[in-house]
Amino acid sequence: MNQDETSSSGSAFEHALDTALARALRAPIPPGDFRTRVDAALRRAAESDGSRPAARARLEREQREQLAELRAGYLRLRRRTFASLVGGAFAAGAAAALLMPWLEATFGPNALLLLAVGTALAGLAIVASYWTPRGGLAGRL
Amino acid sequence: MQPALADAAPGDRDLIEMLRGGAHEPAFAQLLQRYEGKVYRLCCALLRDTTQAQDAAQESWVRIWKALPRYDERASLSTWIYTITRNRCLSALERRRALASLSDGPVDDEVQALHAGDVTPDEASEHDDRCALLRELVELLPERQRRVLTLFYYEGRSVAEAAEMLGMPAGSVKTALFRARAALGEQLRRRGLDDPRLWLETGP
Repeated sequence: MNQDETSSSGSAFEHALDTALARALRAPIPPGDFRTRVDAALRRAAESDGSRPAARARLEREQREQLAELRAGYLRLRRRTFASLVGGAFAAGAAAALLMPWLEATFGPNALLLLAVGTALAGLAIVASYWTPRGGLAGRL
Repeated sequence: MQPALADAAPGDRDLIEMLRGGAHEPAFAQLLQRYEGKVYRLCCALLRDTTQAQDAAQESWVRIWKALPRYDERASLSTWIYTITRNRCLSALERRRALASLSDGPVDDEVQALHAGDVTPDEASEHDDRCALLRELVELLPERQRRVLTLFYYEGRSVAEAAEMLGMPAGSVKTALFRARAALGEQLRRRGLDDPRLWLETGP
């Protein structure tokens, strides 16, 4: 006990006050079920910690699946684009072959030049439409 | 020898050795047994509310359990435990202050202070409860003095223990104790309760 080093003086009143304070300020004791509550809290904390790696693994798996899906979609898009280009070229050739007799009858010897200029302009228009910012209703949506 | 082991209380040396050996679970069980009451009393002294003290003590033990594998022996086990507990209590106090700022907390404090000030010697003797008066006067002390005084008596009038629990130098604890007792003595003298016999007779 360190009463001597903490008392302001050794007067009877101060000694009595010290005794009274020791009586009045009784140390509280933890409630009877405190240990049970701590055990339950520790179990909850352990369960929470245990579920964290599982949740992380699930999220990582979902991320991997989403990434694989995105890559597959990108490949599908590239294949479709390539197929569209090849299909478009064949269709354009076939259309030109069908139109050639009518064009020659209508425009004479300039028909071939006119067809080349027309297809070149159409090609440039398509390219320009993809490389310039989109306007119109579709671009605003 | 590691600093913590050198500073450790004799009873804690075996626990530090257990922790070094990786036996966290049995070490924690012994820690809980050894410090359960002290942690709870520290929470009570800091929070002044048994329900909140129970919650804070419970949270402190969960923190201690989680942090035990990372205990690096820079401080003694008891200091480390008290630091975690104090931090939990400070968080609880901040939450309480935040809530009080939204409600009428300060008004409650004022009412309590007025109520304590109204207690007269006659009433106290009427109820034969001078201890209650003393407790109310302790509640009116400045926060720092009240905490020091409370823990000093909770821990069997040990300055060293109260200082360690509050994370204060022993000299500051002694000063706060001196001022607290002087203030209490003055209050009791004003009420004409400075007869030592009154206090030596009081109590169960």
